[in-house]
Amino acid sequence: MEGVTIPTYDLKCEIVNNISFKVREKSIHAIIGPNGSGKSTLAYSIMGLPTYKISKGKIFFDGQDITNLNITERAKLGITLAWQEPARIDGLTVLKYLSLGMKDKSNIIQQAIKALKTVNLDPERYLNRFIDETLSGGERKRIELAATIAMCPRLIVLDEPTAGLDLIVIEDFFNIFNRVKELDMTILLITHREDIGMVSDYATLLWRGDAIITSTFPEVMIRYCAKAGLKEYCKRTIFQGEETACFDEDYIDRIFREEESK
Amino acid sequence: MSNTEYPKEILESLEDYNINIRDFLPGHGKGAKLLLDFNKIKGLEEIDGVILKGKEIKNGIIADIIIKKGVTLEDPIHLCFGVNKETGIQEIFPRIIAEDNSEVTIQAHCSFPKADGLIHKMFGHFYIGNNCKFNYSETHYHGEKSGATVAPVAYMYIGENSIFENNFTLTRGTVGKVKILIDIYAMKDSVIRSTIKAFGRTKNDSVRIRDSIFLEGENARSVLKMKAAAQNGGEVLMYGVTEGNAPKCNGHVECNEIVLGRGSICRARPYIRATDPEASVSHEASLGRFPQKWLDELKAKGLTEEEAIQTLIEAMLGE
Repeated sequence: MEGVTIPTYDLKCEIVNNISFKVREKSIHAIIGPNGSGKSTLAYSIMGLPTYKISKGKIFFDGQDITNLNITERAKLGITLAWQEPARIDGLTVLKYLSLGMKDKSNIIQQAIKALKTVNLDPERYLNRFIDETLSGGERKRIELAATIAMCPRLIVLDEPTAGLDLIVIEDFFNIFNRVKELDMTILLITHREDIGMVSDYATLLWRGDAIITSTFPEVMIRYCAKAGLKEYCKRTIFQGEETACFDEDYIDRIFREEESK
Repeated sequence: MSNTEYPKEILESLEDYNINIRDFLPGHGKGAKLLLDFNKIKGLEEIDGVILKGKEIKNGIIADIIIKKGVTLEDPIHLCFGVNKETGIQEIFPRIIAEDNSEVTIQAHCSFPKADGLIHKMFGHFYIGNNCKFNYSETHYHGEKSGATVAPVAYMYIGENSIFENNFTLTRGTVGKVKILIDIYAMKDSVIRSTIKAFGRTKNDSVRIRDSIFLEGENARSVLKMKAAAQNGGEVLMYGVTEGNAPKCNGHVECNEIVLGRGSICRARPYIRATDPEASVSHEASLGRFPQKWLDELKAKGLTEEEAIQTLIEAMLGE
């Protein structure tokens, strides 16, 4: 994204303001930030939803300017979105839903079975069910993720994939992310939960519509905590995992001082 | 009776619904069957536990279908009311009785592939006893000329603790003029699920359906779903009626209608009424286009707007 500004639908104010960042191919890139920082807006504008049209800047995908492409054109290039609250549609079976985006229509059932297994759903139980009110929120989210995987896209935008799910299900989602990671897809992970962001290789911090930093996830997390004034929480979180052990307390103190002096 | 004795146009016209009606012909399959070609009975087959009688009258038939007490039928009873002519009047007077503790599925097909000035009327009575599971599905095909006038009326009494499922489908071909009136009376602890689906495709298509459920017994429950689409000037009017007239009864009416293109009209008139302070009835209705979010979700899978709408219509009106 280069200098992207997205106004509200009535153009009265800007939701995200002049933000730029790059997502590396075949990586998991998290967009983190508090509620209302513009994360979902960013997700929808990348997908090309008309109500989230950018007023300034450009979006590039694999070097191609996609700013003026519509949703379908972007999807055909290999971009898709797994929605935070996917719709429940009476009469549409899981199999049909999973097949909609498949490029190869010759072996639909096998592809659908594979996609359901990736998200830990039993194909026998789910293939012929309808994606209606009889599915729980967690089941529906998994099916949404399976539908995006079945497309074999190059970029999946995951909008708050764990929102509204209980802790046991969230634990399962970590395993699912790791499985999806092996499928050689690029994932843009929108989340306000730092524990979910831990699965990512890189991250961008959105704060009140501005992109503050793009770096490795722990580094972005330190900046996030510093912005929010959560020093103890930061230390607890950062020193949890082996990968983040390279950050010592002095470094964290320095970042916090920087933020406080702003 | 061999396959060839029954008009193949009628048999083939239902294949669009993924129904292979040949399986239901006398001599084929295990279920009881009654086949009518215009106003002549072309096939009648009884089985153990089912009494099936038909009598030809001037423009059609009077038929009795009785499922005996305690009988559970593994195979559906098949009723086919076909007319392979452009014009004429077909009148059906069926009386369907399911005695206590019986379980049955009835599949009725009304097919008029050449209709161009044809009139089909039905006046049916259903008496479903206590503790029954009764599934009735009626699938219509009215040809491609909007030339049928179809006016069925059905009164249905559902006994205590019985489960009654009613499915009416008219989603292939044209409609012509359809006026349907269904009244369902639900007794104590009974469960009613009624789903009506219709698609008006041309400016000469007009659908008017009133499906009424009267919850007359304590703890009777119902869900009435009416789903329709109108395109190219077609017109659909759905009256979904539910009355809660007993303690702890609970009913819900849902109307979803989609308008495709200018000149088409969808109307929904959900009507709910409660006369008991412990009754609960509710309704919801949506008309116009599909929610934008649904379309966006499908477009994000690579579908065009038109493909997304088509997918949603097929889902809404599908079998």
